[in-house]
Amino acid sequence: MFLTLIRRELLANLMTFRFLVAMVVTLSLVVANTVVLIDDYERRLISYDTAVKQHHQKFLKRARTYSEVEGEIRIDRPPNPLSIFNAGLDRRLGNSITASHTFVPTLWDTKSHSADNPFLNLFSSVDLVLIFQVILSLLALLFAHDAIAGEREAGTLRLTMANPVSRPIILLAKYISAMACLILPVVMSLLLALILFSVSGSISLSGDDWLRISGILFTSIIYLSVFYLIGLLISVVTRRTATALMLSMVIWSTLVLIYPSLSVFTVNRLWQTPSQLEAAYREIEQIWEAFEREQTDFLRNDRVEGEDPNFNVPPSGSYGVYQTSDPTTLKYAKVETRLWTRIDPDSEPQIPHVKAYFQFSEPRRIRAAERTWQVRQKTLDRVYVRKANMAKNLMRLSPAAMYDFATEAWAGTDFYGIEDFIITVQQYRQTIIDYFYDKEAFSSRKWFSIDQGTVDWSDLPQFSYHRADVSTNVKHASGDIACLFLINVVLFMMTFLIFVRQEV
Amino acid sequence: MWHITKRELYDHLNSLRFAFTTVLLVGLMIVNAIGYLGEHTAQSTAYQKKVSASLDKMRSKADSLYNLLTEGPGTLYKKPCPLSFCANGGETFIPESADGVGEGIFMTSSRFSISTTWRMKYPQSNPSLWDLMPDYTNVDWGDIISIALSLVAILFTFDVISSEQERGTLRLTLSNSISRGTVLVSKFLAALITISIPFLIAALINLFLLYTSGSVPLGASECGRLGVIVLIAFVYVSIFLGLGLLISSRVSSSSISLTILLLIWVVWVVLLPSTIGALTSGLQPTMTPNELAARQQSLASRFFEQYDELWRKIPSREIPATEETLLWSKYLTEDARDNEKLNEEHLEAQIAQVQFARSITRISPASSVRYAIESLAGTGFTRHVQFLAYVRRYAGEFRTFLTETDRADRESPHALGPKEGTSQKPVRFESIPKFADRISFGGAYNAAATDILLLLLFFVVLFAGAFLSFFRVDV
Repeated sequence: MFLTLIRRELLANLMTFRFLVAMVVTLSLVVANTVVLIDDYERRLISYDTAVKQHHQKFLKRARTYSEVEGEIRIDRPPNPLSIFNAGLDRRLGNSITASHTFVPTLWDTKSHSADNPFLNLFSSVDLVLIFQVILSLLALLFAHDAIAGEREAGTLRLTMANPVSRPIILLAKYISAMACLILPVVMSLLLALILFSVSGSISLSGDDWLRISGILFTSIIYLSVFYLIGLLISVVTRRTATALMLSMVIWSTLVLIYPSLSVFTVNRLWQTPSQLEAAYREIEQIWEAFEREQTDFLRNDRVEGEDPNFNVPPSGSYGVYQTSDPTTLKYAKVETRLWTRIDPDSEPQIPHVKAYFQFSEPRRIRAAERTWQVRQKTLDRVYVRKANMAKNLMRLSPAAMYDFATEAWAGTDFYGIEDFIITVQQYRQTIIDYFYDKEAFSSRKWFSIDQGTVDWSDLPQFSYHRADVSTNVKHASGDIACLFLINVVLFMMTFLIFVRQEV
Repeated sequence: MWHITKRELYDHLNSLRFAFTTVLLVGLMIVNAIGYLGEHTAQSTAYQKKVSASLDKMRSKADSLYNLLTEGPGTLYKKPCPLSFCANGGETFIPESADGVGEGIFMTSSRFSISTTWRMKYPQSNPSLWDLMPDYTNVDWGDIISIALSLVAILFTFDVISSEQERGTLRLTLSNSISRGTVLVSKFLAALITISIPFLIAALINLFLLYTSGSVPLGASECGRLGVIVLIAFVYVSIFLGLGLLISSRVSSSSISLTILLLIWVVWVVLLPSTIGALTSGLQPTMTPNELAARQQSLASRFFEQYDELWRKIPSREIPATEETLLWSKYLTEDARDNEKLNEEHLEAQIAQVQFARSITRISPASSVRYAIESLAGTGFTRHVQFLAYVRRYAGEFRTFLTETDRADRESPHALGPKEGTSQKPVRFESIPKFADRISFGGAYNAAATDILLLLLFFVVLFAGAFLSFFRVDV
């Protein structure tokens, strides 16, 4: 009986005009957008490859001494192929960052290596998840709104119940068959997208990526189930199909389209940037003042006569003390570069002083940079990350937003995915510092002079970045998935309880 | 006819959807008003501050014409618009300024020093590189109209014909001596009036909140433009009413009619503008940053070949200008001119790419209505293009001013460029032309005209379609 019911429901859903239309619309949108997104991904990949090559060449050309490394190690973030499913922050946030011992890089110091036409950002991007989020949730509601109310109106519900079949079975049969019909366009879209991937040839998916894609598929199913159950609940509660339909549409447009925008807008407009920025900026300034005091004390006590910034070695290259600061992102760094292209034999006795100076100052600079970073990270998290989290949490009242965030986490294009890259860069900076210590770079002549040849960079550790494995994605997606699942259970229970007690 | 309209109107006003529409529109408009409370005042103060800082900088440069020549007029800012609550126009993605600056020192030797001449530069930076906020549409009038109003229009019309057909009342109505055209028009009017009531109430609440809080100055021109925006909203709603009537008369069941309408709506209004925008911008690629760098490089090497002996020539203050001074002047002028031309070309290509994509996205009336409202509100891309035109005109004025002031100085050799060839007398600050950005009205209406005509065309086609199809309906 159960199977008969499922077969009947399946046919009833599959043969409808709305299913056909929704299927055609979804598939054509998926194909059109996948083509666009693959093209965009390829462009970003090319621009990433060029940037990596250019930055490396520039580094080899410019970094003759150890200190000239400053600002020349640029690390680029490769585009994420799964951004085709959910673009998230992958396209928008900066993708090029500098690693140096004088500064701990954060998300707020990134630049963009692919400065394509910035006006094109005026057109928002459509990813595959957005298509499912909008169109298939609509289809789910359209399937559900007349599932009970329609049969009640037509009188067929009473007819079915006249057979020896329990009410839960009817509900379950409807649920299973409708879900099967909803999964079909999702699976077909994913297959089409994957076929287009393999045709383009530029996208290589790893084993982990397949798991992530199945994660996205799984989340999509749970999401569609939420909307089907919302529709079913409405259908059970209301007497007339027309009312059910109106109510479903009102709820759909609110949850999917209006509420998410409304909450982001509200947070964006009403959020007052906390005043912590100024206090933190002063704290950072103090760190650097302390650093400078130490430096002047050292210079006063060393045994070089006079206060000549060149340590009485005739200048033959360049000398500069640069300070970068930005109160809105709390960026603060002090860099000292000094280069002698040749050193007279007469000045040779001064060289140990120069070496001692850098051996003293650079480790302290590293420490100051790290202390700056601690203050900075804490404050920026509180000011900017908290704002975004606030907006996200407010949005989470809508299942559509939860679905968006969960798939973003699966694809690794969410905040954590980008942060993961930044952390890898920070670790790489530590590797460079260790390398400097290993080579005794700070006390080396090659820190400030090229008169005895330039630095051989062949054993400098290379940067390599691998996206975090699936377990991280699972960790960040699980909260939203659990919530969606819970909503499913609650909705099903409610529908069940009301339906069981209802007269037909 | 008025009888039918009145009957329909009562029907609508008592329905669930009318309550939903009212709540939705009023809620959205209040949120919009709260979001933009004080926004314009803050923007204007920030703008004034930046402009006066820029002017102070110019004043400090006015101690010598040569300084003005090498450093240029400085940063030119775009004036904020009071109606930004109507259309945000992607303000985060559009630069708020253009730079008229020099490149600094070009070359120094023991005997002379040369700085480059100023040129216009257009900032390319993307200000949202660390914006962590989720990507969602704004809640401004443009979006409220393009998304919420069109949805409401569909909800009011999907069953006007089909439900009466189902119930059989249509046959009853038509058995009176009433033409089908009258029935259709009165149904259309009833729906339009029903939607316009909550919309107008919501819009008035919004304006009241903004006006009483002193956030928005409502002068005659603002009121005029708001009036046109409301008219555009009516035309836009009519498009979707026409679509609803068309589908409703073609399809006999109201549930299928709503399904079709919603799918059309989602694709046409929500998804198509973005998809088409992304698709078409790929068709017309612009100069990539690498290409731009390569062209700048080739320009530099061309100059290097053309003026290979230049560094040996020493400019002097002799009058009339010596050959060396003139050569330097020629080089510096050409360098500034050609580099500026390159910057402009790059900008033009970018603008052309966006314009092309925008013209194709107009197959969705949601884009058209947004563009029309943006032009009328004086925000967004159209406004930016207008601003750039003013900037260019001003750059020309500034250049003429430099030449003419130099010509008036008798102690100058009149070879603008090198320090030796240029007047070094202080310039009266008041006489320097200042950049004044303005929001022009004629321009706004002209820019909106195409979109309005396009919207009218959509309406006429769909309404005619509804008319024809209703005439063929079997009741």
